[in-house]
Amino acid sequence: MAKRDIPEVNAGSMADIAFLLLIFFLVTTTMDKDKAYVRNIPKLISTQDVPPPIEPRNICAIKANAQNQLMVRGEYMQNPDEISEKIVEFYQKNEIKNDGLNSFPMYSKISKKDIEISLDQAIEQAEAVENTPDALATIIEFKQRQVAEWEKKLTAIEMYGKETLPEIHFQAHIRIEVMKATKYELFAKIQSEIEEAIYELRNDSSMKIFGESYKNILSRYSMDEKLKDKEKIDLLKILYPDRIIEVTPKV
Amino acid sequence: MSKFKKDGGKPAPGINTSSLPDIVFMLLFFFMVATTSKETDPTVKVVKPTGVEAADMTPYKQRSEIDFLYLGKPLNAARAARYRSIGMEYMLFMDNVVQSTPDDLYSTNAIRNWKSDKFEAKKSKITKGIESVITCVKADEGAPTGTIFDIRKELQKIDALSIAYAVDGEIKK
Repeated sequence: MAKRDIPEVNAGSMADIAFLLLIFFLVTTTMDKDKAYVRNIPKLISTQDVPPPIEPRNICAIKANAQNQLMVRGEYMQNPDEISEKIVEFYQKNEIKNDGLNSFPMYSKISKKDIEISLDQAIEQAEAVENTPDALATIIEFKQRQVAEWEKKLTAIEMYGKETLPEIHFQAHIRIEVMKATKYELFAKIQSEIEEAIYELRNDSSMKIFGESYKNILSRYSMDEKLKDKEKIDLLKILYPDRIIEVTPKV
Repeated sequence: MSKFKKDGGKPAPGINTSSLPDIVFMLLFFFMVATTSKETDPTVKVVKPTGVEAADMTPYKQRSEIDFLYLGKPLNAARAARYRSIGMEYMLFMDNVVQSTPDDLYSTNAIRNWKSDKFEAKKSKITKGIESVITCVKADEGAPTGTIFDIRKELQKIDALSIAYAVDGEIKK
């Protein structure tokens, strides 16, 4: 059979097709990323029990009224940019040395040996509860969570590399109290300032301990979960926990 | 006299466009990688407040573990005026929910039903429970915070315990 020439494919309309696809993607997608502050809502429980009182020194209250005026730890504040400095002060005031006279939360220093003892106790208790017939599921879960917490602390102190692990009082928290008419802009600003303060604290500590920024560790962890970054993040979270309470406004 | 030679009747050579598809395809792939798909356009106007150090929601979007809720003034001027006269300035917009009556627009029951329905629809696709499916509130900077807490209360009732406050990520300093 005679050899025939294969006719060339006309690719002139290829550009048109590609343009069409390009324009479709330009229209249906968006460049800007959604950024937000993620917060947890406490679980709804029905109980008549009065919660134990909290010492005022453990509360970092940020209040805003309907006129969008701010009050942080009982002091009137003109410029909302200063909130983060107050939060940093709240965390760091007693970090090196406890001072009973000031009104900032106390720190406890816990040694590795103490953690090991507490962990053993927690495991014992958890086993005891599990072996009890008709034990409540919530109690078992609670005990198991305690064991996990002590295990976390044990890895944290090994990571920290010092004799003792400084820990802020377990009740210390940031409390946002706004009114119904407070502008959302100010509420978001408060959230932003809290996030900024906690990032600053964790970042400084991260630079000191690991010699790299907190952001670096976080982004590497999001790419690869197998490295030792989980422990690093956990340690920084134990040093500077972000306990935030948003109080539902009544008026 | 003239130093410039006049071009004779020679026609201009044609531009070679054979690499044009390559260029366009390159652009196409760039946009496919760099952008994310848009959700529905809300019918309320939202100017987000600015904030620093906010978390990126893209990973949650990719895993469809996030639902968006808008809070703003209606875009339609006539509509906005009508609702303002009955004392409602800021209104909710839930994606893919057609709202026609004022009750629908700001009804606390609507949030619960919307969230539960959305969760039921994608239950088979995600591994997490409803408590960790984030509800991202995109509120206008002028909106009253009380409404945010109303939303929180509704979410709490159905155990959807993760909320996010959307901001425009802006680099301060």
